[in-house]
Amino acid sequence: MNARDEEPAPGAGALISARGLRKSYGKAEALRGASLDLHEGEILAVTGPSGSGKSTLLHCLSGITRPDDGVVTYGKESLGLLPEQRLGELRRSEFGVVFQFGQLIPELTALDNVALPLLLAGTRRGPAHREAGEWLERFGARGQAGVRPGEMSGGQSQRVALARALVTGPRAVFADEPTGALDSLAGEQVMTALVHTARETGTAVLLITHDAQTAAYADREVWLRDGAVHSASAGVLAREAVRHEG
Amino acid sequence: MKADIRIAWILARGSERREWYRILLTALGALAATDFALAAVAIAAVPGQVSIPYGHGLLDQPGQRAGVVLTLVLLLLPVVGFLGQCARVGAVHRHRRMAAMRLTGATPAQVRRIAAVESAFPSLPGAVAGVAVFAVVLASTGHTPYPAAWAGFAAVVLAVPVAAALVSVFALRHVVVSPLDQVRRTVPDPGRRTLFGFLLGSVLVSAAAMLVTLPADVRSAAFPLLVLALVFATGAGAIWAAGASAALLGRRLTLRARRPAVLIAAGRLAHDPWAAARTHAALLLVTVVGVGFVGVRAVLLADLRAKKDVLPTDMGFYTTGIGLAGSAVLIALAISLCGLAVGTAESLTTRRRGLAAQAAAGVPHGVLARAALLETALPLAPALLLAGVGGTVVYLAYAAIVGGPVSLLPLLLPVGVYAACLLAAATSLPLLRRAVHPSELRFT
Repeated sequence: MNARDEEPAPGAGALISARGLRKSYGKAEALRGASLDLHEGEILAVTGPSGSGKSTLLHCLSGITRPDDGVVTYGKESLGLLPEQRLGELRRSEFGVVFQFGQLIPELTALDNVALPLLLAGTRRGPAHREAGEWLERFGARGQAGVRPGEMSGGQSQRVALARALVTGPRAVFADEPTGALDSLAGEQVMTALVHTARETGTAVLLITHDAQTAAYADREVWLRDGAVHSASAGVLAREAVRHEG
Repeated sequence: MKADIRIAWILARGSERREWYRILLTALGALAATDFALAAVAIAAVPGQVSIPYGHGLLDQPGQRAGVVLTLVLLLLPVVGFLGQCARVGAVHRHRRMAAMRLTGATPAQVRRIAAVESAFPSLPGAVAGVAVFAVVLASTGHTPYPAAWAGFAAVVLAVPVAAALVSVFALRHVVVSPLDQVRRTVPDPGRRTLFGFLLGSVLVSAAAMLVTLPADVRSAAFPLLVLALVFATGAGAIWAAGASAALLGRRLTLRARRPAVLIAAGRLAHDPWAAARTHAALLLVTVVGVGFVGVRAVLLADLRAKKDVLPTDMGFYTTGIGLAGSAVLIALAISLCGLAVGTAESLTTRRRGLAAQAAAGVPHGVLARAALLETALPLAPALLLAGVGGTVVYLAYAAIVGGPVSLLPLLLPVGVYAACLLAAATSLPLLRRAVHPSELRFT
């Protein structure tokens, strides 16, 4: 078995642990008893075909969506039981979230966008800007500081979004197809920057992707199909089967 | 709170053109509110009996001044409706921004506070401009306000931005923005609430109608209650009628429409029937008041003419008062029509990508323009009919109590309002031409 497929014992030493997650949208079941552990400092890729429930899993793990059934544990807290206020605090200080399209605020410059989580936490604008500037520097986007999202390329927007996700020093970053809207070169640059920074800061990354090349950046890969988590080898076999059928 | 103000300020500075329209319109609304409130304060501060050379002595006695102050205060209602309409400009875009903030860790309360502060920002310069306009008007009359008025002026300037923020908080009280941009109202059925208001009003009308059957001295005291109850019931009923008829017409016409414009308008009405009711709320209330006023005015004038020789003061005193009330109704109507124009323009701006997609797919501009007008025209007709009936009942009841003649002129008012509404909606059509440009499809 490949080292990347080895899965630790459920919940043991996990930063975030999900057990038996179920989530439906109307009659469509997005998750059917999905279980997953994200460990401190690891980069975990969740792959799978479209509609397999990857994004829903990320939303549940990051506290954006509450599952219909099952438990998501972060430390001693069960995310499903936390009030919106606490979930907001978690997203502001402990978690960072990046989507396919950066979700940047169009009215704010790149610098203000990155500084936003700090400003929301009550940091004064000067120190918040200094911190945000340093993070833009790390992601090679310092030159975009005064630029608004509408004037940036996709790659630049994603770098700014990553800087915003990491500016508060979170323990986990949730990235949903962060390179999905980028060309291969820009995607590679964004992934290199994310992985490098995550390693440097010891931040865990949950990476949702359908792209094997992007998944290769991860320490571990799991395969999601029909709302349930399988080992990465199942994913490799499934991909092989599809390739042969093609 | 300091952090929220800071973020709201950064957001306001980075606003795009659409947001600047909202800011400008909100500032204009704040200007109007400030001037009405300042005028009310200035008149209310006048002590005892005085001689003021305006309005045929209408401002000389405390009793009549109270009526003028009440009229000015009532004029704030359509202004609040207009401000509410302005708050909806760019609402979809703002909700998306709120969702992005929630994603970065803002709590629901924090997002609401930031939105409220954003609304208060444009009101402050609006209030200051209102003070400037008021000062110029006051200076041109050569009068100095009474000392008691100054504290009231300061309170008005502070209260207008606070009130604008409260209007925004009130408008957002049921809105929960999730980090995934799913805006949800925790009260799912606005129709049920409006219907409840209508039923409550109807009970009040019945109670007031019972009072009318009592002896003459009690009967005259019952009339104001009857008027208030009728205005309340008819207003709520007309708003409900607008929403319910939009839903019904939308459903029926979607199945039966043969013309593309009707089909598009019906689809839109079926999708969000209460959007029309929200836009028309202030206008329908003004129509109830307007029809009632025009009828009562005819009765009053006939009564005055009959008693011309035995009146304690000159005829001008009474006609000025009636004229002032009429002006207030006209101003309220004008403000409500502006609100309708803003609402229609906002509706087109919000849907510009969808409209551009339809245009790109070959739907002619004329069809889209007719559909936009039909969206206003279809739900408004039954609602205005009900509003007209409500106002008619008010003046018929008054005519019955004082025994005056019944004029048919007020019945024309809903027709006039309907035409004015279509004209107001038509003012947004130039915007449609820009909205349907295929280049809109390139931007989010």
